[in-house]
Amino acid sequence: MSGPVNDAPPDGPAGRPLLAAAALPCGADVDLLLEQVAGGRGADRDAHQQQCVHCQAALSEFIALWAPVAELAAVPVPAPPGLVAGVMSQIRHLVRDIWYTLEVTESGAIRIAARIVAALARDCARMTPGVRVAFGRSTQGKTAALAEKATLGHRHPHAAIGVLGRTAVVDLAVAVTYNDPAHQVARDIQRQVITTLRDQVGLQSVKVNVTVDDILDDDER
Amino acid sequence: MTAAAQATQPAVGDAFLAARAQEGYLDAYELLVQRHSAMAYRVALRLTGNHHDAQDVAQEALIAAWENLPRFRAGSSFRTWLYQIVTRRALNKVNRGRPASSLDLLPDLADPAAEPATQAERNFAVDAVIDALLALPFPQRAVIVLHHFEGLSYAEIASVTGRTEPAVRSHLFRARRALGKKLEEWR
Repeated sequence: MSGPVNDAPPDGPAGRPLLAAAALPCGADVDLLLEQVAGGRGADRDAHQQQCVHCQAALSEFIALWAPVAELAAVPVPAPPGLVAGVMSQIRHLVRDIWYTLEVTESGAIRIAARIVAALARDCARMTPGVRVAFGRSTQGKTAALAEKATLGHRHPHAAIGVLGRTAVVDLAVAVTYNDPAHQVARDIQRQVITTLRDQVGLQSVKVNVTVDDILDDDER
Repeated sequence: MTAAAQATQPAVGDAFLAARAQEGYLDAYELLVQRHSAMAYRVALRLTGNHHDAQDVAQEALIAAWENLPRFRAGSSFRTWLYQIVTRRALNKVNRGRPASSLDLLPDLADPAAEPATQAERNFAVDAVIDALLALPFPQRAVIVLHHFEGLSYAEIASVTGRTEPAVRSHLFRARRALGKKLEEWR
């Protein structure tokens, strides 16, 4: 800084606005001072600022000027109710729905959406000891297309597109706890999921593909 | 998802969730939506100044992110990527034109401990900030919101806006000065 540090301080709101100038009489860059304040460092004054009345007055002025900005930034803004549900509902419409047909009689067909089967399998996997994280999917798009093609010739007239019959295929991606043997946990998941889907949904033939994607420490987040 | 099953689900990183979502695990993407929907709405609200537009922008952005997941690069930040999508969608919405209202930007600022006169003065001051913010050109508003409201670094804003870090810093200087001048007029 080359200018005087002890002359009369710069004008505030009553006089010429501080931001009308590029620099203070002491040579300090006004933009840098505003950046300092906006960054929450208005009180951290360097050696020059501790001596300079211009910088001190400008910093004080900017602290007052920026306070409502900081206040507004600190106001919590929650997501409106229903936003998450609305988004997921639209995405589910975009994703092709696959259905498992459990029964077809003269009274009609009983079907269950594959995503429900996947959700049940996922929840079951999450309850299995050693599992930290689990995600489930019914089938991939390619598999769905193949299944649709394969069942085209013998599909019941009332069956929905993509019916796979009584055989459910569930993919699970899991992360297991560090000290638990991954292969043992994966087998436990397969057993538990097969039992759950047979007992709760009535699916007799279930294939459960388990992919161990990660191993997490107890305190890992 | 059952409550018990949900309770056993620890907070895993965005990278893990994004990778699973790319593989077609919709429930992994649902966790990302739950985690980032407030941010998407908040940024959209600051940028559009209108609750209904903000809700539209947040919803469109979260769906667009799902549709574009195959293009999301492993190793990059899902959060920063979503900021980019929200900002672009907000720009599109603002360009289509719809008057903004400062009232929409303040869901709850009342401080029960403050005196009524002080509270009114504070609300007035914050209202002035909102009006000043909405009066800025969109690019300046965006860098102010991303840096000073969302706490993004220059590098992150550069990634969101497709500019260089020095360009972001220069843009911020101009934006802060413009906002400051409007606030000086109010004072």
